[in-house]
Order: sequence, then C-alpha cells, then structure tokens
Amino acid sequence: MTLDIASISKSYEGTPVLRDVSLTIADGEFVALLGPSGSGKTTLLNVISGLVTPDEGRLTLDGTDITATPAGERRFGMVFQSYALFRHMTVAQNVAFGLRVRTGRDRTSRKSRDARVEELLALIEMESFGDRYPAQLSGGQQQRVAMARALAIDPRLLLLDEPFSALDAQVRQSLRGSVRELQQRVGIASILVTHDQAEAFAVADRVVLMRDGRIEQVGTASDLRERPTTDFVRDFLAS
Amino acid sequence: MTRRILIGLAVLFAALVIVLPVAAIVSRAFADGAGAWWAAVSEPETLQAVRLTVITALIVLPLNIVFGLCAAWAIARFRFPGRRALLILIEIPFAVSPIIAGLCFLLVYGAYGPIGGALQPWGVQLMFNLTGIVLVSLFVTCPFVVREVLPVLSVTGEDEEKAALTLGASGWQIFRFVTFPNITWAMVYGAILATARAIGEFGAVAVVSGAIRGQTMTLPLQIELLYNDYNTTGAFAAATLLTALALVTLVLRGLIAAIHPARGATP
Ligand SMILES: Nc1ncnc2c1ncn2[C@@H]1O[C@H](COP(=O)(O)OP(=O)(O)OP(=O)(O)O)[C@@H](O)[C@H]1O
Ligand SMILES: [Mg+2]
Repeated sequence: MTLDIASISKSYEGTPVLRDVSLTIADGEFVALLGPSGSGKTTLLNVISGLVTPDEGRLTLDGTDITATPAGERRFGMVFQSYALFRHMTVAQNVAFGLRVRTGRDRTSRKSRDARVEELLALIEMESFGDRYPAQLSGGQQQRVAMARALAIDPRLLLLDEPFSALDAQVRQSLRGSVRELQQRVGIASILVTHDQAEAFAVADRVVLMRDGRIEQVGTASDLRERPTTDFVRDFLAS
Repeated sequence: MTRRILIGLAVLFAALVIVLPVAAIVSRAFADGAGAWWAAVSEPETLQAVRLTVITALIVLPLNIVFGLCAAWAIARFRFPGRRALLILIEIPFAVSPIIAGLCFLLVYGAYGPIGGALQPWGVQLMFNLTGIVLVSLFVTCPFVVREVLPVLSVTGEDEEKAALTLGASGWQIFRFVTFPNITWAMVYGAILATARAIGEFGAVAVVSGAIRGQTMTLPLQIELLYNDYNTTGAFAAATLLTALALVTLVLRGLIAAIHPARGATP
C-alpha cells in the first residue's frame, strides 16, 4: 500500500494549520511525524484517517483517490493518544468491535471473530485478559489493546497519535520496541505522531519534521542529524 | 465533631422538610380510617385524575428522552449556528414561572392564538384537553434529560466515537454501542426527574387544562379542588396517591442502579 499525500492544506477559522503538505509513504514503511506542539501533526494524521476534511489537496492510496472516502471506509487502523478504548466493553469486545459492526457481505461469524480476537490477544501477549474491562488494565496494557483493536480490521495503514505519551519512560521504551516489531511482523505501513525525537528515530524508517503546518525536512535519522537543511531542523534536533 | 454536627443538621433538615410533611399527609389521609381513605381514592373523579396524570407522564416520557438525547448530542458534538441560543433556550422552562408558561401556550395554541386559531376551522382543539396538558408538561420538563446527559457527553466519549468511526461503525452503531452505554445512567436519571415533575406539575397545567371536572383534572389539580371543597380527607387521600407515584419513580431509579452497575467503568 502506497499512500500519496499531495498538496494538503487546512485552515481553522482562517488560520492555516496545514500548508501545502506533500509526502509519499511506501509499502511497509514506518514514518514518524515529528515537530513542536501545534505544528499540525495531529491534524495531518486526522486528514489521513478521514476524521478531518482537507480544504485542498488529494490523498491517493495505490492510485485510488480516497480524499472523499469516509473514515469508516478507508480501513485505516488508528491508535489514539488517550487509547479511546470502549470503557463498557471487555478487552475481547473492544478488539472484536471493528469486525462486529460489519454488515451485509462483509459480515463475520461469531466464531471467526472469536478466533481473530484470540489471535490478536496472543500477538499482544494478553491472552488471559479478554474478560477484563479497560479500567482494570495498566496504561501499557491499554495501549496494546488499542493496538490490537486497530489491527483487527486488517488495516491498510496504521496511524498512531502519540501512543506512548501517557506512559512512564520505562514502559514507553519497551512498548516502542514491541510496536516496531508488531509493525514489521504484520508488514503494514505506519505513521507515528510524536514530539519526542528519540522515539521518532528509534522506530521510524523515515522522519518527517514539521513546523507551522509545513514539512521542514524528510529523511532518515542520519539525513536529519548530519545534513539538516534549515537552522530550525538543526536547532530542533539539538534541543 | 464537625462531621457529627453536619450529619445532624442534614438529618434534622431532611426530617423537617421531607419526612414530617410526608408523614403528615399519610396520617391525615388515614385519620378517618382505612375505609374512608379507600372510599376517597376510589372516587371516580380521583381515579380519572390518576389515569390522566399517568397517561400524560407516559406520553411525555419518550418524547423527553428523544428530544433530550438529540439536543444533547447536537450541542456536545457539533458546532452550528444557533448552538449557543439552543443552550440558553433549553434553560428557559426552568427560569419561567410555570403559570406564565401555561399562559403563553394559551396565547399561541388557544382558539384565539395564531396556531390554535388556524387549526380551529379543521376542528382541531389543542387547549383544555389532553393535548394541551401534554404540551405544557413537555415544556416544563424538556430541560431535565438534556441537563443530565450534556455534561456526561461533553467530558466523555468523543475519542471513543472517533475510534468507532475509524473502525467502520455507522452513525447508528456508534450511538447504539459506544455513546448510549456511556450516557444511559444520566438519561435515566434525567427521565425520572422529568417524570416526577410531569406528575406533580400544577401551575402550567392549571392554566391549559380548563379544569373540567372528571375530564381534564390531573391529580395535583384534583387535590386542590378537593381541598378547596373542604373535602380534606379526599384531598389528602389523593395526595397519598401522588406521593406514591413519586415514590415509584424513586424506587425505579434505585432498581435501575442495581441492575445497571458501572461494570469496571471509571466515571
Ligand atoms: N478543531 C480545531 N479547531 C480550531 N483549531 C484547531 C483545531 N484542531 C487543531 N487546531 C489548531 O491547529 C494547530 C495544529 O494542531 P495539531 O493538533 O495538529 O498540532 P500538533 O502538532 O498535533 O500538536 P501537539 O504536539 O500539541 O499535539 C494548533 O494551533 C491548533 O490550535
Ligand atoms: Mg497532537
């Protein structure tokens, strides 16, 4: 799956939040959106997920224009900063949700859903937690459930908005590794939003540095560190 | 020590303001014996008043829930022109004296009002009957569900709804499986408050009911009528029925709390 983001612009009440953003994400690639607070990272991610409609520009997935495709039909897995787990559903019900709401031709049988849930819980190493409620889980466990829920729909793209920011440093480090590993195993193109450069460099193949709604520079860790194109990039990475 | 004084004050207050008056109603109603109480409550006029009150409450209840949920969801989730106005508008029934509300409805929907007058040639009468009573009851009770649901909706669930959306759920599925379970308790609570108010409403209903004996008398109106007729036993007997209806709503509230525990949820 190759995602092509072309000249996306978005304003809120006349204030531009994204200005002419273009970026291509290759199949199986892990890209991190890095930048200071308010630089438009979440907005860009929401444009990709379909939760926000851009004012201008186009999104193309494998040659198909998806700019006007509703969020629910894009089949992009999303992990929110707050995890946004359904609090009145068990872990298993949370993970199964994306399959359960399918109707018509895509309907899934209960048995196949259960099997898929089991498989995903094994993937996040939480087999015995299916009957728990989100409030009975630790932050790291909730994060993994959110991940499993997003993966349950066989997403074509995985979108992660600061998925580790609510965790303490140690858990964050270990989860970072496991998310990267999961991504590799599933082989899915992923976009991670973060304002922590260590995190961006640790997990991503390429890092996109944003500033004031623009992409400042795109590259690998060594590209950005050794060949910053602007003072902003150098200063941001030095801080 | 402070704690004891506070608890003592609360108990004293509850006793003076709630327990004693209720006890007084019951004791006065049965002052002439259970037979007299039974004779009073089985008066056809009183029974008719109970029926009208219950019917009104049952009609108003679902309308209140639907309106309350729609309004709360619209206000909490969307930014639209007139949103602030709607927020203020919803509070108006609390601010306006019920009797004035009744008069307003009479002016608009009565035979000489713009709407009531327009419907008159078609033989449709809105005031001095069940329709009128339902309309004003709706007016005085419509804020309850919104006011209970809105705060809950504003602080919870928006991210959950977005997550459900990206997982492919339709609008209805999001409401049914994600939003509704989060607000059930607030909705039920608001609905019970609204129902209690609808059952007990006096002022607004008094204006639009027309007070036709045995026809458009709700229980509160009937109680006043009996009392003014110096039929004290009848009035207090009817009052025990009204109190019992109020207690039913309270018991319902307790029951629902028992069968709908917040399973592991953090409110
Ligand atoms: N719904 C909205 N209405 C108005 N302004 C908005 C809205 N969403 C975002 N903005 C503005 O757009 C700008 C970019 O916001 P965005 O959330 O994309 O930043 P971010 O890079 O994710 O920042 P952070 O690291 O703090 O999460 C901010 O100035 C924000 O105030
Ligand atoms: Mg953000």
